[in-house]
Amino acid sequence: MTLLIAIVLVVATLIGAPLFAVIGAGAFAGFEREGVDLSVVAIEFFGLSETPVLVAIPLFTFAGFLLSAGKAPTRLVRLSQALLGWLPGGLAIISLVACALFTAFTGASGVTIIALGALLYPALAQAGYDERFNLGLITASGSLGLLFAPSLPLILYGVVAEAPIDSLFVAGVLPGVLMIAALGAYCYWRSRGLPRPARGSAAEAWRAIVAARWDLPLPAVVLGGIYSGYFAVSEAAAVTALYVLFVEVVMLRDVAWRDLPRIMRESMVLVGAILAILGVSLASTNLMIDTGVPQRLFAFVSDYVTGPTTFLVALLVFLLILGAILDIFSATVLVVPLLLPVAAQYGVDPIHLGIVFLAAMELGYLTPPVGLNLFIASHRFQKDITEIYWATQPFLIVSVVAVIIIAFWPDLSLMLLDR
Amino acid sequence: MSAGAHNRWWHRAERAALWVETSLIVVFLGGLILLGAAQIVLRNAFSMGFAWGDGLARLAVLWLALLGALAASREGRHITMGALARWLPPRLQTAAGVAADLFAAAVSGTLAWHALAFVRDSFEFGDVLLGDIPAWWLQAIMPIAFALMTCSFLAQAARRVSGRNVAQRAP
Repeated sequence: MTLLIAIVLVVATLIGAPLFAVIGAGAFAGFEREGVDLSVVAIEFFGLSETPVLVAIPLFTFAGFLLSAGKAPTRLVRLSQALLGWLPGGLAIISLVACALFTAFTGASGVTIIALGALLYPALAQAGYDERFNLGLITASGSLGLLFAPSLPLILYGVVAEAPIDSLFVAGVLPGVLMIAALGAYCYWRSRGLPRPARGSAAEAWRAIVAARWDLPLPAVVLGGIYSGYFAVSEAAAVTALYVLFVEVVMLRDVAWRDLPRIMRESMVLVGAILAILGVSLASTNLMIDTGVPQRLFAFVSDYVTGPTTFLVALLVFLLILGAILDIFSATVLVVPLLLPVAAQYGVDPIHLGIVFLAAMELGYLTPPVGLNLFIASHRFQKDITEIYWATQPFLIVSVVAVIIIAFWPDLSLMLLDR
Repeated sequence: MSAGAHNRWWHRAERAALWVETSLIVVFLGGLILLGAAQIVLRNAFSMGFAWGDGLARLAVLWLALLGALAASREGRHITMGALARWLPPRLQTAAGVAADLFAAAVSGTLAWHALAFVRDSFEFGDVLLGDIPAWWLQAIMPIAFALMTCSFLAQAARRVSGRNVAQRAP
């Protein structure tokens, strides 16, 4: 019977049934077997309204969608160009930085490739980079920045792991910078044959700063309030949404009032898709904990894994495979509750675990069969998916090295934390 | 009723549903932004706040989640691993799509049924939220949204069978 259910769930997943339905069906089947009344699934789903930090998710997502609907991507690229354009490999490095900052706000939902790719792809070609490099760069950059506040996966991990989100925001900074630096170094090396870009004028730098004067305070709006203690994460999200709304609609008029309902709806489609998965997984997680899955998992793992180092190796291999077959949101809600107790047995800090988890899952966007970025880039640039896949290979390899460093150097994540 | 009239009627009903859905999203998301901002100002400037404010914000998230999930169902934009099905021959692709829709409809329907039981219990026990508001008013969105999601998955399956344009957009 259990086998039959498992087969049905796997087949449903493969033919493209929504993952929330697959997880929900699993929870129903499990509770039925345990003889528990099935309305427990609905009760657990209602738990979405009992988690204070979840309030941040719709607010930050809306702010990100609003930013991408306006001209913020153009201003961001112009500013990075003015400040970093003189570097050898400058334009490639600009792409990395701009995409990372943008992804932090839009939650790596593919928006980055669509919004920034349109600007950066032609610019890179004009600067003399070869097409394959450009495709790989834009595709790989589309999920870079997941480790920076206020990214959606970072908040979701905090919710699921019951870890303090403000600590996660701080812990992600240096590992995120490492990933950009590693890819930046690769871009620098690749562009050594290209003509050195001319030094930009100070006047243009100043004009770019003036153009971005309303965007520049955003990091302070997001993080300043939280660390100064004036407001909680969910309130920072409300302030960010209000600030972006004010800037884009009232001050700059990049976005018309009449477009707001459409943008709100678009952003809530993503929020609804994620929270539907979280809602049903609250039930499935409870089922797994009730039936002792974490203990059995630990017993199984401890036969093979003897210490923290082997654990981290096994974890990385597992996460890279997981990232290749499951999207980051489903993977977070399904796997993190099981992983946490096991990791704790090996003395892995939950904050560090979160950073490793997300950094490894970030690579999942680039690996077949379900790498989301591959599909979006293939669609956006009208290229065959295998071509995109090969173009991203070097970036993937560099990123894997960065993730290994992040995993085996916990202090990189934890040193900025005040504790 | 002629096929044309039927289509017009269906089209109008869909537009009305879309309007209601979007309006509710605007009200709840707009309210969430203003409520959050108001709470900060009240607390830091006047050392006060709405006692029900946090509870209301959390319920707004549940409503937004369900409205968003409903919109995602209508537009075929739930998170799936359906990328694999793209390699199937077209005929099998349709069959797989219909089966996936029916599976999703069955689970949504089950969720709607048990959410209804949950709301009925809460009505019978006289649960209250946010001070003295009957909890079932605020919880009723759950069975309603899941029931509507069931309908939209069934409608999508029907569209696939009849070969009409399936709600599918670029990611």
